[in-house]
Amino acid sequence: MENRIYKHLKKDILVEFRNRSAVNISFAFAGITTIAVSLASGGIRLDANIQSILFWIIIFFSGMSGLAHTFIREEEERTALFLAIHSIPEEVYISKLLFNLVFFIFIALVVSPLYIFFMHAIPVHFTHFCLTVLFGSIAIASVSTILGAIVSKAENRGTLFTVISFPLMLPVLWIAIMNTTASLEPGAAPGFQSILFLLAFSGVIISASYLSFKFIWME
Amino acid sequence: MDNLLIHAENVSARFGNVTVFKNISFRLETGSSMAITGPNGSGKSTLLQIVAGLQRTVSGTVTRRVNDAEITVENFSAHAGYTGPLVNPYDMLTAAENLAFTVKDSAAKERVIHLLDYFDLYKERNKIVKHFSSGMKQRLKLIHAFINDPVIIMLDEPGSNLDSTGKDKLFAKIEELKAGRIVIIASNEQDEINLCGERVELGKQNI
Repeated sequence: MENRIYKHLKKDILVEFRNRSAVNISFAFAGITTIAVSLASGGIRLDANIQSILFWIIIFFSGMSGLAHTFIREEEERTALFLAIHSIPEEVYISKLLFNLVFFIFIALVVSPLYIFFMHAIPVHFTHFCLTVLFGSIAIASVSTILGAIVSKAENRGTLFTVISFPLMLPVLWIAIMNTTASLEPGAAPGFQSILFLLAFSGVIISASYLSFKFIWME
Repeated sequence: MDNLLIHAENVSARFGNVTVFKNISFRLETGSSMAITGPNGSGKSTLLQIVAGLQRTVSGTVTRRVNDAEITVENFSAHAGYTGPLVNPYDMLTAAENLAFTVKDSAAKERVIHLLDYFDLYKERNKIVKHFSSGMKQRLKLIHAFINDPVIIMLDEPGSNLDSTGKDKLFAKIEELKAGRIVIIASNEQDEINLCGERVELGKQNI
C-alpha cells in the first residue's frame, strides 16, 4: 500500500505543478494580502491579538482554495471514475491527506516569514509559535480534505464547502489564534494544552475520515 | 483457467424519480461475452457501472466472483478492466505516467510496452495526454482496461473515436482475450455487438 500511496502522491504533485492553478492562487493570495495588510497598517505595530487574527486569516484563505481543490479537480476534470477504478478508497484518502498536509504546511512556511517581516510580528515564544502553526495547519488540512471529498460530489461546491467547513474550522482557528497571540506577547506564558487540543482534534478528524471515506468516495 | 461468475438478479436503476431500467437479470460464466444495447439514455453505461460495482443499484443484486472469491472495490482493478466515456486518464500526465499509475505489478512492464506498441502509442508515450487527439485518448483508455491482464473485461463504447485500423486492432484484441474470460460491451455499434455471444437490450420494455 505504501508504494501505491507514493504513486498517488507523485501523480497529484505532477498534476498540480503542471497545472499550477492551486499553487499560483494560494501564493498570490498570501503575498498580496500580507503586503496589503502591511501597507494598510502604515507601519504601526498592531496589537498581538489583531496580528494573530490577520495572520490566520491570511494562512486560512491562502490554503483553502488549494485544499478543497484536490478532490474537486478529480470531479471537474472527470478523472474521479478513473481514480476509483484503479485505486482502493483508503489509499486515495491517505494520499490526498498527505498532499494537503504538505501543501498547507508549505503555504504556512511561506506566509509566516513574510508576515513576520512585513508586520514586524516577531514571536517571543518561537517554539510555541512554530508548533501552533504546524498543528493548526495539520488540523485545517485534515478537516478540508474530508470536506473537499464530500462537496466534490455535490453541486454548488463552493457555497457548500464554506457552509459545512465553518463549524469544524471555528474551534481550530479560535485555538490557533489564541495560541499565536500568546506566542507574540512578551509577558504571556503559553501552555501546551491548546497545542495538544489541535493535535487531538486532527487525530479525531483523520480517524473518522479514514473510517467513513469509503462510503463518501463510492457514493 | 479461472472460475468466473457475474450474476445480476432483478437489477434496477433510477435517477431521482425517473426509472432508467428495472428487473434486469443475467448470468455470465468463464468464456462468455455479453453486449448491452439500447437507445441513448436507456442506461447502458449505468448498467455496466452497476455490474462493475462502481454504482449502487436501487434494487436487485450483482454477484461478481473469481474462483469463489468476491470481487470488491479493493480488488476490482486486479481482476477487472473497465473503460468508458466517463473514465478519463489525467490530461496533465504523459501516457507513460498514467500507465505507471495504474499498473499493478512490476512484471507488467513488458505487457505495457506490448500494448503501447499494439495500439500505436509507443512513440507518443512521453507526450502529455492533453495534447492527444480523441482517438489517441481512446486507445490509451483501452490500454488501461487491458493493462493488468484482467479476467473480466467491461468496455463502454470501446470503438468510439477510433479509426478503422484502431477498431480492427481492438476487435482482434477482444477476440484474442475472450477465451477464459468474461467480456461485457455496452454499445450500439453492430460490429461491437457481434463480438459478443449474449445480449441484453435495454429500452421501454425494461421500464
